Amino acid sequence: MILAIARKEFLDAWRDGRFRIAAAVVLVLLGVALLLAWQQVQRTRAEHNAAAALERENWLNQGEKNSHSAGHYGVYVFKPLAPLAVFDRGLEPFVGTTVFLEAHRQNQAAFLPAQDATAMRRFGELTAATGLQLLVPLLIVLLTFGALAGERERGTLRQVLSLGVRPRDLVLGKALGLGAALAVLLLPAAGCGALALAQLPGGDAGGGWIRLAWMGAAYALYLAAILAVCLAVSAIASTARAALAILLVCWAANAVLAPRLASDFAQRLLPTPKLVDFETAMNKAVQEGLDGHNPRNDRLQAFAQATLKKHGKTRIEELPFNFNGLVMLESERMANEVFDHHFGKLWDHLEAQDRTVTWTGLIAPLLGLRSASMALAGTDFTHHRHFSVAAEQHRRDFVRVLNEDMMNTPAADGHHGGVAGRALWEKLPAFRYDPPPPAHALRAATPGLLVLFLWAAGAWTALLLVAPRLKPN
Amino acid sequence: MTSHLFRLELRLLARERAAWVLLGLFAAALAYGLWNGVRLAHRQSEAATALTQDAAQFQTQLREVLGKQSVDPKAIAGRGTTAVLPAAPLPLLATGQSDLSPSHETVVLWKLAAPADTRSELENPSHLMAGRFDLAFVLVWLFPLFLLALIYDLMAGDRESGTLRLALAQGIAPWGWMARRALARSLPMLTLAALATLTAGFFGGAGGAGPRLPLALTVVLTYGLFWVALALAANAIARTAAGAATALGAAWVLLVLVAPTLLNVTVETLYPTPSRPELVAAGRKASGDAEKRGGELLNSFYRDHPELAPPGQQADFAAQHLTVQSEVGRAVEPVRQKFDAQLARQQTAVGQWRFVSPAIAAHEALTDLAGTGYWRHRAFREQVGGLRQAVSAFFTPRIHKREPITSADLDKLPRFEFREEPAGTWMGRVLASLAGMLALAGVLGAWAWRSLRPARLGRLST
Repeated sequence: MILAIARKEFLDAWRDGRFRIAAAVVLVLLGVALLLAWQQVQRTRAEHNAAAALERENWLNQGEKNSHSAGHYGVYVFKPLAPLAVFDRGLEPFVGTTVFLEAHRQNQAAFLPAQDATAMRRFGELTAATGLQLLVPLLIVLLTFGALAGERERGTLRQVLSLGVRPRDLVLGKALGLGAALAVLLLPAAGCGALALAQLPGGDAGGGWIRLAWMGAAYALYLAAILAVCLAVSAIASTARAALAILLVCWAANAVLAPRLASDFAQRLLPTPKLVDFETAMNKAVQEGLDGHNPRNDRLQAFAQATLKKHGKTRIEELPFNFNGLVMLESERMANEVFDHHFGKLWDHLEAQDRTVTWTGLIAPLLGLRSASMALAGTDFTHHRHFSVAAEQHRRDFVRVLNEDMMNTPAADGHHGGVAGRALWEKLPAFRYDPPPPAHALRAATPGLLVLFLWAAGAWTALLLVAPRLKPN
Repeated sequence: MTSHLFRLELRLLARERAAWVLLGLFAAALAYGLWNGVRLAHRQSEAATALTQDAAQFQTQLREVLGKQSVDPKAIAGRGTTAVLPAAPLPLLATGQSDLSPSHETVVLWKLAAPADTRSELENPSHLMAGRFDLAFVLVWLFPLFLLALIYDLMAGDRESGTLRLALAQGIAPWGWMARRALARSLPMLTLAALATLTAGFFGGAGGAGPRLPLALTVVLTYGLFWVALALAANAIARTAAGAATALGAAWVLLVLVAPTLLNVTVETLYPTPSRPELVAAGRKASGDAEKRGGELLNSFYRDHPELAPPGQQADFAAQHLTVQSEVGRAVEPVRQKFDAQLARQQTAVGQWRFVSPAIAAHEALTDLAGTGYWRHRAFREQVGGLRQAVSAFFTPRIHKREPITSADLDKLPRFEFREEPAGTWMGRVLASLAGMLALAGVLGAWAWRSLRPARLGRLST
């Protein structure tokens, strides 16, 4: 019986002209979004590779200079675009793409692509993700609002129930039929998505396929939850018009209001520190120690004394190496502790804000989906943090190699060591960023996935509870 | 008859509980948007005030010191000159680009050729992505939704239930009836939107709002008018109220959600955003090349400018750095200009295509009027470019000649004073947006009017 009802609903849906037009519009938009995003990711990656290659040349050809000067000359590293940005650009436009690595300082990634974009960016972006997050739910509303309420209004519900059809079978059959109609629409789109990823060189970096599969699951949970909510409303509402009104209000609250309200709420709960306060506190800690009672000069003095004692010498000039190099190493180590503490705290704070938004997804499922989708696509804040940490690690390695060279080079001018050349520059490997494994993405996506699971489970339970009480009028 | 119908419709509206709920929700959204604007404007003006005070304090200290002795120009140059974008004329109206584009920058002589960090505040990227719940959001996104909820059924419902025949039998002209109905039902929403816009002007304006507030009011009301015209057009053809509602809902989704994002991807495809990494790497290449030829460059510089050669011809590190830097600036300039030109082309394309959706036109006009739009921030960036040149022009010869700064130089020190865009320029853009919206509303209204001519009455009422 359920299958017969499902078959009838499936055919009905496809015979409905309005659904066919809306479905065509959504499909075309999804296709356009996917195609253009694919092109954009390709172009961005090519530009990024060219810039990285040129910067490497710059580094190698910087000529002969003191190794500490090379530390100040520094290196720029560029953030590669995650392959799954083809589906979900996520935060990419709003985080920096370029990090300047130099001696003494940990810099934040600079140059947000959105700063170079037009103001239209603020209306949101047309990606496959936004299509599935905002437009497909609208399509579901259109498909389902009259499914039960409409039959009730026309009086056919009474007739069907009088035939002895169990209300639960009727509701499940409708859910199955309408779900199938949607699946027929979306599966080819998903196929195109998979094809786009397969055509992207290095698309599997960071476990692209595993991530894509989980993304598919997240979207399936979201759309299933919405389908169940819509049917439940249609089952309860007295008229199709009332069902449509309720569903449209819910859609607008979820798609238009919730993202901004939740983001505001998180900011109010956990306000972002001001840049000037953050930098002042960090610079102070570099000078006075993390506890504020241990001035840098005192620590370096003590370090000098300890070094002399260790080598059994009384004067710095007697040491068998360039002491300035060792001091540089030690002061970098001290500063790094401060950077780890302050940046760690800031990033934890931003992640806590994001988690707050994700959990408000219990009220508006879009927020849970958005968070899971970005995490799986590799375009959320945790992935940006992963990149920032990798870039910082590269900075520390490169500054350490330079300082060690200085330590082992006799001080020509009695201060900063000798002159180094291409041989040393080549010792420093080019920056290579490996995106985190899918396990990282899954960990980051867990709260969002959990929210979606709760929504799907809750919505289907509600539908099954509502179904037996289906009123014929 | 005229005012009678109007009053009747208002009285009917006052009896609808749903209408009161919608009005209450809209008023709450407007108030929340305004409050959010106040908070952001406060945060931004706090930062600007602190920087301005800091700069003023330095001036005072410098004046004191120079009164007693002259100072090495390098010491002053190292501190830098801060450029601050003054508070926007109507900040409460729209956040615009103000949370994304930097509103202050410190120009330091030694770093003129280095790529500047473009951030002036810490923001959670997700917050930037979600966008702010400001007045512009309520007016551009939510206002049409609330408005349409009140006016989606102007005639279609009567046609559906058959009361239209009855009403028309009274000898009412269908167009006049529907237009009055639309006006009466939209009046409360339009009033609320106008009041909120005025509040934003009176409580948030930095004094010099001038013609901006009346223009903002006109933009908001014209935008509302467009949606009213759309509702009239939908009702002229829809056979059922649900049909009219669906058509209007679809129009909202297409015009407010889809069109801007579609325009965004189209513009990005036609005029791709130039690559920042490439610009950075090209600048570095130029600086590497110039640095290697540092000594040679300086010698040739002194050959060309013997008047700037220091006493005894002994070049110092600072002079060499400045020569290298100006060479880098020269080498990178074409790349940078290409980059900026491409960005301008992008935004110009958006400007030309903003008429595809009144939501885009209204948003562009509101951010322009608020003073938080693309073009004001672009003007700031360009003027900071001018400050860089002024800083270089002031300090470079003095450092080459090792000429100390004295109290006589105090008033010649480069300073930043933001020049607002000429009123004609921004007003031209706003008026064009307004004209575009009016034209769209006019076309829709005319079409609705044509469909409701008495000659078509027979077809109308069935």
